[in-house]
Amino acid sequence: MLDQLGNGLLLGIIISVASVALSLLYGVTRIVNFAHGEIIALGAIATLFFSSPLDYRVLFLEKFSPLGLNFVISCFLAILVCGLFGGLLEVFLFRPLRKNDVGNIAVLVVTIGLSILVRHLYLLFATGKVQNFPLELQRRQTYLFFDMTPRNFNVLIAGIIVMIIVGLLLTYTRLGKAMRAVRDSEELSSVSGINSDNIILLTWVASSMLAGLAGIFQATINDVRWNMGFLILLLIFAGTVLGGIGTSFGAMVGGFMIGILVQVSVGLPFMEGHAEAKNAVALGIMILILLFRPQGIFGQKERIS
Amino acid sequence: MLNNLISVKNLKKSFGGIKAVDVQELSFIEGELTSIIGPNGAGKTTFFDLISGFQNADSGDVFLKANNISNSQPYKIARMGMVRTFQLTKVFDRMTVMENLLFSGSNVNNDSFLRSIFKLNSQKVYEKSLKDKANEIMNNLNIGHMADSYARELSGGQKKLLELARAIINDPEILLLDEPLAGVNPKLAEDILSLIKKLSEDGITVIMVEHNIEAVMKISERIVVLAEGSLIADGSPSEIRTNNNVIEAYLGKSDE
Amino acid sequence: MITKRFSLQYIFAFSLTIFSIYLVFFLNPEGAPRIVLNLFTFAGIYGLSAIGLNVHFGWTGLLNFGHASFMGVGAYVTLLLMPHAAGREGVVITTGLPFFAALTIGIIAASLFGLLLGLPAIRLRGDYLAIVTIAAAEIFRLLVRDLESITGGVYGIINYTENFQRYRPSFIDDLSDNLDFSASQGWVCIAAWISILFIVLFLKRLNNSPWGRALRAVREDEDAVRAMGKNAVWLKLQSFMLGAGIAGLSGVLLAFNYGSLESTVFIPLLTFYVWAIMILGGVGTITGPIFGSIIFWVIISETDRLAYILFENANGQQLAGVRFLLVGVLIMFLMIFRPNGLLGKKEELLLDVK
Ligand SMILES: Nc1ncnc2c1ncn2[C@@H]1O[C@H](COP(=O)(O)OP(=O)(O)OP(=O)(O)O)[C@@H](O)[C@H]1O
Ligand SMILES: [Mg+2]
Repeated sequence: MLDQLGNGLLLGIIISVASVALSLLYGVTRIVNFAHGEIIALGAIATLFFSSPLDYRVLFLEKFSPLGLNFVISCFLAILVCGLFGGLLEVFLFRPLRKNDVGNIAVLVVTIGLSILVRHLYLLFATGKVQNFPLELQRRQTYLFFDMTPRNFNVLIAGIIVMIIVGLLLTYTRLGKAMRAVRDSEELSSVSGINSDNIILLTWVASSMLAGLAGIFQATINDVRWNMGFLILLLIFAGTVLGGIGTSFGAMVGGFMIGILVQVSVGLPFMEGHAEAKNAVALGIMILILLFRPQGIFGQKERIS
Repeated sequence: MLNNLISVKNLKKSFGGIKAVDVQELSFIEGELTSIIGPNGAGKTTFFDLISGFQNADSGDVFLKANNISNSQPYKIARMGMVRTFQLTKVFDRMTVMENLLFSGSNVNNDSFLRSIFKLNSQKVYEKSLKDKANEIMNNLNIGHMADSYARELSGGQKKLLELARAIINDPEILLLDEPLAGVNPKLAEDILSLIKKLSEDGITVIMVEHNIEAVMKISERIVVLAEGSLIADGSPSEIRTNNNVIEAYLGKSDE
Repeated sequence: MITKRFSLQYIFAFSLTIFSIYLVFFLNPEGAPRIVLNLFTFAGIYGLSAIGLNVHFGWTGLLNFGHASFMGVGAYVTLLLMPHAAGREGVVITTGLPFFAALTIGIIAASLFGLLLGLPAIRLRGDYLAIVTIAAAEIFRLLVRDLESITGGVYGIINYTENFQRYRPSFIDDLSDNLDFSASQGWVCIAAWISILFIVLFLKRLNNSPWGRALRAVREDEDAVRAMGKNAVWLKLQSFMLGAGIAGLSGVLLAFNYGSLESTVFIPLLTFYVWAIMILGGVGTITGPIFGSIIFWVIISETDRLAYILFENANGQQLAGVRFLLVGVLIMFLMIFRPNGLLGKKEELLLDVK
């Protein structure tokens, strides 16, 4: 079981970052974003495009050359691309829907359509094949009581730092407070002088940037695939629900727990030979949480039925 | 206890720090037309929610005909003959006014899946009689001409009427009305009042929350006053009119 | 007035359907019967499934995103009860129930699974229910994949079609010789459309009944339903069972159309396909999904042309990619610009389900 712990921590940090992003968006806009996974994949794909060597012609119909930039710079650029993408989605798609009073459920269905569309755009034009970031192979080392490569260890540390920063930003900055105000009541905040349109736009940008970061983590640890976001989308939902929907701190911890749980469950005795079903355990727990403690571990009691 | 159709004991409910309802002892007598009045936020709607099962009390008990219904499901309470309306109307928006009434009037057997497949003649007869009843009630409430409109096309006041009609067609023994006159024009308010009075005379126990103090004074046999969740007065209209507590908390000084 | 606009909608939907079928003939001068049969078979099966979904969402307002699992339960239970072969080694099981007995149990099993999946609906509101149902459907699929010794997992189940094809009327074989299509698919197609006919008649009867009325009331406002002394939970569960049973039947037909069955058939995309068909046909309508399904499958079957325009020598992955991409566009487009679909009533639009 312990040898799975390292993998669990790594999956945990991916899910955790992605869950915070999802829960931030849900908290402010009440949108259950099924296209969240595609923004995650965008982070990975954009990084791949920026950082791959110039002669590496797999992406984009084999017509465009990658940029061959420094990897870290590529990551930052990719995160900006994700933020831009999220902002554009809000301005050209979700804001008009909101102005036309389209209900939450209709918007949910729209995000499903969007997810299918964007995912298959990736399949067709970006990464039909499994790709890897242009990084050299590394050997695993032992840290405390788990094994992972130095690079993955850095990912883990970076993830934790980002989570702390996000937490501080949400708690102490004006913007963070404003987001929480919008979450609590859109009308209230527009009365008290907060422009909720701008807040929602910024939320989209922030959420998408975080999602992009999660995608970069996922691709660094594993690989780049067109459907990489959709594959973990339900786990992200599970993390969000477990921690308590709409609470960022809850999503952090919930996401981490789901990641660890999924990997560690592989090592459980009754799971022997059933590694493929490991996600089922996490999803089952999510359903139970929703049924018996719908506010999650950290959420406040809120009527959700 | 004999005539006490509904009684509550030590009923408490709070939201966060706010004490919404805190009633030690209160009973309603069979056949009596009682009004509950009190300032905004006094806990009147919450009190209705508690006795009709839509919210669970933090502590305390509710008895209906000597059954403890504190933890009963709302639909079971309704089947026991206590039917309520909502302050914020809850009509079936995308069903016609007629369908709203037919659904509400139809009994559980009639709604059953098997009967609905076989559509026996008895069901047709029953539906026909429901329809007649619905028409009669709609005409009494001046919404007959809207029978085939979607409920969401009704005005706010008409929706109130529809809710009332829905409650009536359900043949309640006890009727809980949450502000039946809110948003209804004065002429219609008169009609509704006389309808409520007639229902009461027909033997239905009516409990009504209402801010229109004239109307309350005119038709109530008994008035219960809540303020900040607690019972501050209970008596006949004339007693309430002169009760100092009530004047202070709700009615205000009359001569000023 | 209402009826007039309504029949106009019908005429439009009908003409569009005819036109799209004509288009298939026009675009495929060679082998049209085979292509059209294939299209109608899928359209029938998916249309049936969408009709079931409409009972959940259109009638009762239940946001079910686990529809694929109902189809899956129906299919797996039915197939496993009949003689078949399963798994990597193709272990042959020669004993089993006759087709109609197995089918009946399969449909009942799907209904019961609907009951199980419906239980969360007692407590959960719209979007939460969506997440729970899609997660439960994934759990089902993962378990089916995992239980390889019974379900064949990713290797699947084979050698079961004969259980059903043995009832094939001989006229289909005669026709298939003349027109060059697969007789066994012809029989599946006929079975699918006969099922649709019966289910539609059945649902029409229910829709105009007190029970159908009660479901719509649940969709509109559960609190008011309870206040009228009706058990909203039980109504929702009944709705779940009915829709799931219909989906189960369509799952069985899907299995017979494929000729072999493996767990990847029941990925979430299957559910999304059915959603697209339901929205296209008209949420809350009974016959809408039929038109929706035919037009949907015409679009699907002709997208390969688009793929060949975009990519010379498009490979299988690219063909599928273009197809799915269009489904995504279709879902978004419909939801934004025409959420009432072909036959839905604007007044009954389900945009603000709580
Ligand atoms: N769901 C809730 N969450 C938090 N507080 C609530 C809730 N429902 C009611 N309250 C509070 O409980 C108190 C009583 O509310 P209630 O609606 O019962 O008042 P009311 O007497 O019906 O008022 P009105 O005459 O305005 O209808 C109020 O202070 C209100 O703010
Ligand atoms: Mg009130």
